[in-house]
This record gives sequence, structure tokens and C-alpha cells, in this order.
Amino acid sequence: MAPRTIKVDALVVGGGIAGMQSALDLADQGYQVALVEKQPSIGGKMIELSKVFPTLDCCSCITTPKMSAVAHNSNIQLFTYCDIQSVDKQGDGRFVAQVIQKPRYVDIETCTACRQCEYACPIDLPHPFDQNLGVHRAIYVPFSTAVPQKALIDIDNCILCGKCERVCPVGCVDFTQQPEELAIEATAIVLATGFEITPTDAKAEYGGGKLLNVVNALTVERLLAPTGPYGHVLRPSDGKEPDSIAYIQCAGSRDKSLGVEYCSRICCMYAIKQSMLISGALPLADIAIYYMDIRTFGKGYDQFYQTAKAMGVQFIKGKVAKITEDENQNPIVRVELIDEGSQVVERQHDMVVLSVGMVSKYDPRTIYDVNVAGDGFVDTPLTNVSPCVTSRPGVFVSGSAAGPMDIVDSIVMAGAAAAEAAAYIQATGPNGHGGGRSIAAGEEKELAHA
Amino acid sequence: MTDKKEDTKNRAAMLKSLREKHKETVEKTQALLKHNQSIRKQIRQAMQSGPMTVPEVAEATGLPSDRVLWHVTAMKKYDLVREVGMSGEYYQYELAQKENQ
Ligand SMILES: Cc1cc2nc3c(=O)[nH]c(=O)nc-3n(C[C@H](O)[C@H](O)[C@H](O)COP(=O)(O)OP(=O)(O)OC[C@H]3O[C@@H](n4cnc5c(N)ncnc54)[C@H](O)[C@@H]3O)c2cc1C
Repeated sequence: MAPRTIKVDALVVGGGIAGMQSALDLADQGYQVALVEKQPSIGGKMIELSKVFPTLDCCSCITTPKMSAVAHNSNIQLFTYCDIQSVDKQGDGRFVAQVIQKPRYVDIETCTACRQCEYACPIDLPHPFDQNLGVHRAIYVPFSTAVPQKALIDIDNCILCGKCERVCPVGCVDFTQQPEELAIEATAIVLATGFEITPTDAKAEYGGGKLLNVVNALTVERLLAPTGPYGHVLRPSDGKEPDSIAYIQCAGSRDKSLGVEYCSRICCMYAIKQSMLISGALPLADIAIYYMDIRTFGKGYDQFYQTAKAMGVQFIKGKVAKITEDENQNPIVRVELIDEGSQVVERQHDMVVLSVGMVSKYDPRTIYDVNVAGDGFVDTPLTNVSPCVTSRPGVFVSGSAAGPMDIVDSIVMAGAAAAEAAAYIQATGPNGHGGGRSIAAGEEKELAHA
Repeated sequence: MTDKKEDTKNRAAMLKSLREKHKETVEKTQALLKHNQSIRKQIRQAMQSGPMTVPEVAEATGLPSDRVLWHVTAMKKYDLVREVGMSGEYYQYELAQKENQ
């Protein structure tokens, strides 16, 4: 049987903030969009964050409405938990992507996310959404604000006991589901595949991944989030409320030994943000940030830094050489204090946070035939003129897939990518190759600019 | 009625054949379940005496405190324990209603 074919104007790959914004900006201009996300929910890294710099807005409160807007936009077809296997160009110049919809083993039409299945399931598993400090069950709704708000089964960690199926009030558990193939035809593609953090254990001398109280900054986002694993800021070794917390800056950026020579741009700001939030949650805690230099380049960012200083966060110029721990699992930071005659000291903290950088995780070369730059991110050969244009006509890039950037810049770039994609669809779509732009005829005239 | 019976029989057969197909992961997960159940039993026994902190449960059971924290976190998420205030720098937890366990 030939796979189901979906015809759209633009295919957006990745449902983080950048992909969602590009999809919305295209859809709001009347273009038909397919948004494909590999995870069971859209939201990307942003939905994992607690609050965002520089405004300290609650992250859920601003991301969730965007996620719903995507799900409810009649010009956007959302495909979650999907893998794009290949992308080819057809004779008419349009792309066709072969997609595998992975089975959720739950009927997405009837599931109401009541979570009775989750409560009945006997298997507890570490939850990657909570950096493994929290749990989910073998059948679970990905997280409280997931879109779509539907359960799925982690079949590789399921004993197939059938308890979920028996308690489901609507009979939506379906162990017989198979992967489904579909084809998506589109005139333009927007790559919004995002970033990954530098692996926590990348720098062995910092003990990340080995010492329990040395954590990455994304873990702290979860500790600070009201929906986080503990509901409080506690350290992972024993649940103690930490009195003394240290941040190690550039623990994964500006580091030749890691092959990450660039500045990740967000780490100074998120460390300052987190230190302010921790000060709010634990007013008596001492917070120290060990840094090489502080980079607060955006609008209102330096003010943010000054506020943190005024709140009593200690900024200590020094490069950390090594982190070990004492017999109570308290991390010991060995650091050269540059402003104090370069003396080398050892300081004990309750918890240490590694300000990990942004690296590219997804390599789009094989499937999308676009170039990547030396840093591994999608190459933008016309950076100063058209920063969203890739080496391949018709394929555009949005957000941190193009390089380290914060949410503000990701959203700006998402709008730009949507505009570039729209112009391309206009030029090669209805007026050119007769592609699939699907807006009302009268409107078409108005929008055409070629 | 017969239809329903037939259906139940078919589903049971289907689950059985799926278990066969996923034999390796099912066995691995069954072992994990057994392991976790024995840890849970120790934690519940320790907590019979009233509200406890994670290090106290670790001390009473001999389990590593980070594992105790992970299990207590899981039990809290699924309403099997609840948080009841603090003792020094640690939260205290107590078992929720018996019938939940
Ligand atoms: C600890 C930490 C704190 C931060 N705090 C802030 C802050 O306070 N303020 C701020 O402005 N920024 C902050 N940031 C930065 C912010 O997270 C990023 O700017 C933002 O998430 C980038 O969005 P994105 O959509 O480009 O990428 P992502 O959020 O990574 O989204 C990419 C999406 O694409 C999907 N995807 C990847 N590959 C594929 C594929 N092959 N097929 C389909 N889908 C795919 C992913 O699953 C994901 O959903 C922080 C970052 C970190 C690490």
C-alpha cells in the first residue's frame, strides 16, 4: 500500500520554540505547514526551563500557549514522535519527505490523558525530561503540559502485563499498533532541529556524571521548576537543601580540549538567572559563580547581571581546575583566584552546577544535503545578508540549529526563516512550478511579490 | 457475550505473542521490577515508624541515599508517600494511605 501523502507548502523539522514560531509565522500568512517533531511532545528545551532571562517570565506560561497555538492552527498539521527517513526532490522541484510515525501503542484520538494507565503501571523509569532525577512509568503522558496531551508506551521498558489496557476507561491502549509510513510533500523546508547541551561528563576533571552533587544547568532548571522532580531545590545525593552552591562557567564552551572553541552565549545569562531564582527559593544560600569573563550582550542583560550582584551573588574570577568530593559527597572546587594574587584554593560547596554549553546534536547532511559549519551547526553561507539561508535552495534554518542562541534570538530567526521560506514558496510555488500554496485565490494576489 | 469472550481470548493471545516477540526487553524489565519492588519493601518497612528524611531511610535500610531519594521521588509522584515538613535541612516523608501501597 502506498504511504499516506500530505501536501503542504512548508515542512518544518523540529518543534522547539524556533520550529513552532516558524510554523506559526508561515501558517498565519496562509501557508499550509507540516511540523514534524521526533519527541512525543513539542516544546523543545524551552518547555523544560523554569523561568527565562531576562524577564524572569514563567517558562511554562509562555511556552504552553505557543504549543497550543501550533496544535490548534488550522494551517498546521502536527506530527509528533516521527522520524524523517529521507528527503528527495521531485521533478516539479518540490521536496518529498518519507516519514515514519512511531507507534505510541495508544490511540491518540480517544486518549484523554486521564493517566489512570500511568497509575496502574508497575514500572518506574528515570525520566529524561527531569534529567533522570524524576520518574515516569512505562506508559505515561510525557509531562504535564505536553502537546499533544496523550499517553504513550515505552515498549522497550514494558513487561506487557496489560494492566494499563484493563484500567483505561476509553479502551485506547493498543498493543497492536505498528509504525506507519507517510510522505510529506513541501515546496520549502525549515530546519529547526535545535541543540544539545555539552555532555555533563565531557570534562572528566569536573566529575560530572560521576559525582552526584555535580549537576548540569538543565538539571537546575528542573529543580527550580514548580513541576520539577522534587518540587524544591534539593541536591541529588541525599535530598539536602543546599546552603552553598557554585557555578562553573565555560564548563563546556571556549574549550579547545573539548573541540568546542566558541562561546555558547547563553551560559553567563542562565547562570545569573538561576542564581537569582535560587536566592529566591533559598534566601540563606550562598551562591558563587566562578567565571573567566561575564558576557551579557543582549538588551537588558547587563542590568540583569548588576541586579544579581546587588542581590549578593558572588562573582569570582577564576578558572576551576578540578572538582573532587569529601566523604559526605560535598564537592570540593580547586580554583585559581585571579583577583586574589592567583592563589590556588580549595572550596567546599553543597552542590556544583556545570554551566554546560550548546552543541549541535543532529547532523542534517545525509537527509537534507545541506552543509554544516566547522562547529557542527547548520552552515549559513550568507550570514550577513540572509542568515536563514542554507547551502541548499529551498532549505532554511531556524533557531539554535544554526548555532548557539537564546530564545529571543531563536524567535527572531524563526520569523526570518518563515519570511525566507514564504518568499521561496512564492517564487517557485504557484507562480513558478505550480507548487502547493493553498490560500484563497484573491489573497494570493495580495501576497505575491514576485 | 461469546464475542466478548472471544475478544478477551484474542487479546490474551496477542499479549502473549508480543511478550514472546519482546522477550529480551520484557525479561530485563521484569528483573528491574523485581529489584525495585524489593527496594520499595525495605523503604516502606523503614517508614512504618513515622515521618523520615532521606538520610534516615538510607541509614535504616542500608541503601544509598541517592537511590532512596529517587524511590521516594517516584512514590511521591504517584501518591504513595507525602511530604510532611522539614527536619533541619531535609524534608520528611511519610507513607500515604495503606490501600495505595
Ligand atoms: C540550562 C539552560 C537554560 C536556558 N535558559 C534560557 C533563558 O532563560 N532564556 C533564554 O532566552 N534562553 C535560555 N536557554 C536557551 C534556550 O533553551 C534555547 O535558546 C532554545 O531552546 C532554542 O530553541 P530551538 O527551537 O532552536 O531548539 P530546541 O529547544 O533544542 O528544539 C529543537 C526541537 O527539534 C527536535 N528535533 C531535533 N532533531 C530532530 C529531527 N531530526 N527530527 C525532528 N525533530 C527534531 C527536538 O526534539 C526539539 O523539540 C537556556 C538553555 C539551557 C541549556
